[in-house]
Amino acid sequence: MTSSEVLPTAPVVAPGLRESLLADRTRALTRLYQRTFPAVRRHVLRRGGTDQDAQDVFHDALVVFYEKVVGETLALTAAPGTYLVAVCRHLWLRELDRRARHPRADLAAAADCPAEPAAEEATEPLPVLAYVEQLGEKCRNILLAFYYFRQPLAQIAATHAYRSVRSATVQKFKCLERLRNAVRAASPTASPR
Amino acid sequence: MRPELEHLRRLEQHLLGAPDPARPLLPPALAADAEAQRRAYGALHLAGQRQLRRELAAIHQALYGPRAGRWAWTAAADGLRLVFARWGRRARP
Repeated sequence: MTSSEVLPTAPVVAPGLRESLLADRTRALTRLYQRTFPAVRRHVLRRGGTDQDAQDVFHDALVVFYEKVVGETLALTAAPGTYLVAVCRHLWLRELDRRARHPRADLAAAADCPAEPAAEEATEPLPVLAYVEQLGEKCRNILLAFYYFRQPLAQIAATHAYRSVRSATVQKFKCLERLRNAVRAASPTASPR
Repeated sequence: MRPELEHLRRLEQHLLGAPDPARPLLPPALAADAEAQRRAYGALHLAGQRQLRRELAAIHQALYGPRAGRWAWTAAADGLRLVFARWGRRARP
């Protein structure tokens, strides 16, 4: 068997996957979930994992998959489900390896004696997520829709009933300004602007 | 847009835009500004991941949670009831 038979070079494009994730994320992810999770669960259970392990591994893979698809940094060489199952197999293998190196007893002992806080936590008066939580719901939704979920501004404008894309853009920058001010306030060395 | 927002927009182009060797480096006076904005994007990334995980947990619950199971059993019971009702009608002389 040649390598080209094993690894197809021509990308298998999942038609409209990015568009459907952007248009109706819950629906697109539910469809992907229904088609793919049973195979992941079967694999993890057969190799010593639990239902919860299967769920954790699958969610890890889906988060990265979502980010790569909407960020257009993934050239799929297989169907989305096949790709996800392969990623989950790899993640589960890595997790098994980690567990073998750090047996449960060690982890339990580590949980009883928490390690020193990370450097970032020690210097930040608030955990970084708290800045986002402090924003109002509308600002949070707009910023997450644009910067994380990568929805186009036209869609954000329609969802939040803005009259134009420009209005939505201005609102997005006002929200970003509020977030940035909160971040700056937490680091007193920075000069205000 | 007011000048402060225009400033954010320019910084955003600098931080998130495609790398452009022709673009001048940020003046040192703006380094703290850029750093605050970079941390704001980092916070949004983490918050987005957390929201996506919550959405995935909700999808899992809807598909495989106890409520979904109960619906499946209810649907199966309804289906069986229908089959028996039809079978009963057929069996009747």
